[in-house]
Amino acid sequence: MKKQNNKLGWLFTSPYLLFTLIFFALPLGWSLWLAVTDWNMMSPTIRFVGIQNFVAALYNPAVQSAFFVTYKFLLLFVPLAVAMSMGIALLVNGLPKLKGLYMVAFFLPYLSSGVVTSLIVKGLLSYNGAFNTFLRAKLGLDIDWLGNPTTAIFVVSFMIAWKMSGYYGLILISGLSSINTEIYEAAELDGSSRWTTFWRITFPMLYPSLFTVLILAVGISFGIFTEVYQLTGGGPNFATNTWQMEIYNQAFVNLKSGYASAIALISSVVTFASIGVIRKLLEKWGERNGWS
Amino acid sequence: MVGHKKKSGSLALRYVITTFVMLIMIFPFLYLVLHSFAAWDQVDRQIIPTKFSLRSWTWLFGNSSTAAEAPWIGAFIHTIIVATIATFLMLFFAMMVAYALAKINFKGKKAVNNLLLFQMFFPAIILLIPQFLMVSKVGLLDSYSGMIIPTMISLWAIFMYTNFFKAIPDTLIEAARLDGANDWTILLKVVLPMSRSITTVIFLFLYTDRWTNLLWDMIVSKSDSTVTLNVLISQMFGPYATYPGPMYAASVVLTLPLILLFLLFSKQFQKGMQFALK
Repeated sequence: MKKQNNKLGWLFTSPYLLFTLIFFALPLGWSLWLAVTDWNMMSPTIRFVGIQNFVAALYNPAVQSAFFVTYKFLLLFVPLAVAMSMGIALLVNGLPKLKGLYMVAFFLPYLSSGVVTSLIVKGLLSYNGAFNTFLRAKLGLDIDWLGNPTTAIFVVSFMIAWKMSGYYGLILISGLSSINTEIYEAAELDGSSRWTTFWRITFPMLYPSLFTVLILAVGISFGIFTEVYQLTGGGPNFATNTWQMEIYNQAFVNLKSGYASAIALISSVVTFASIGVIRKLLEKWGERNGWS
Repeated sequence: MVGHKKKSGSLALRYVITTFVMLIMIFPFLYLVLHSFAAWDQVDRQIIPTKFSLRSWTWLFGNSSTAAEAPWIGAFIHTIIVATIATFLMLFFAMMVAYALAKINFKGKKAVNNLLLFQMFFPAIILLIPQFLMVSKVGLLDSYSGMIIPTMISLWAIFMYTNFFKAIPDTLIEAARLDGANDWTILLKVVLPMSRSITTVIFLFLYTDRWTNLLWDMIVSKSDSTVTLNVLISQMFGPYATYPGPMYAASVVLTLPLILLFLLFSKQFQKGMQFALK
């Protein structure tokens, strides 16, 4: 039995505990207080306004859009990211040689800044951008990618899926490589088709890794900021206005600290509850099919 | 014989497809480099430029973009300072805290562990405004400290290290203790050398994240004296919209160090990922 060493334990964890006190507990309390005031970052007086900010937030079309936009991102980004990373993983995993080299190449997008990706996408897809010019000249297609609400949210989802898919692919590959190859040989001997083999063997055995990817991707969907800030500004017509974007605008553009804190609090509750529910559903789904 | 031929043929096809997909995936990087060297009338006008010039690069390193002298070089240096110091602090503190959580038996350990997990799932956006107000109240706006101190603890890094340290046999630690080593020495001389590959993974993820941070750096940095490269590109995004050449050059400067760092450590990274993904 290890002997207890309380002093040492608290000493070693003290940086974390101190940090949590200053940069977690204090801001959390402060935020709850701000949310019930009308403070605007400048005024010397702070007035208590009760639930007024929350009521105003719920009636604000921008806040309402943030609520729905997040789920739209969830429904677009998560399947895109899973499909792309699964594609990468299946392609790379079957290679007998140079597996590491390909994986490194596929991981590179993770190192990109959202600002830089936005610059490239704007250069390619803005109305007079390189790709759009090409489409008009060669195919006669005239698409205003960033000016149309449907295409704009798709473009942003795709950008983030591009960035994350190599990383998620790594997670799936580590899941794939843990599957015993003898099972595949047995399936082949039984005359099982590739499609059946994938759904009956690969997918169920891959589920734990897939679960990790899904949870990570769901988390990302609730925290989108850089790409929409840079590329669409939340537009067109709030089509890509995420929670973070709305909070940033209210707090640092309109300087309404109290109001923005109320929105942040609403968004935190919605995010926490949504992720919790999605997590439970995924776990249930896996258990019911006997995958996890 | 025929079957074998068929198999090697499909394998070749597989390599072709994988290479093709890989090229599409890294195409944005190629676009970035090509357009930083493209003649200005071709930037963003055609997908593959045909005329090249160094104008974007000479423009970038001249004094022509904002009031300060060579703001882009300054911004690059600020990025290195902020990202490097913040990442090393994150690594150091994470190691220390994780060591206690994995290898020291103390009262309240379970509570600390639960607090950590709770915070990891807590939506951090609610803390943003008060954190900004705190930094501004203590006069740290527009300073390196203002950018570094509120980002010097990474919950994720503590979590990763704790899991890794738990896998190190207790007998090893006990043996070192019997030899008279204190816990600092054990952490630095026994545990740290065993954690090289996981440290590489954590370092690369944290460094990339800190290097490309936008939201926090943007609200703390108020002038050319502290602005990071990522924030500067973000701010110049609009003003340079009609002549984006220099922005591509700046983006190459922002992205290339991360890629080089990653390639440099890719062996250790692959090894570390094998543990991290378990």
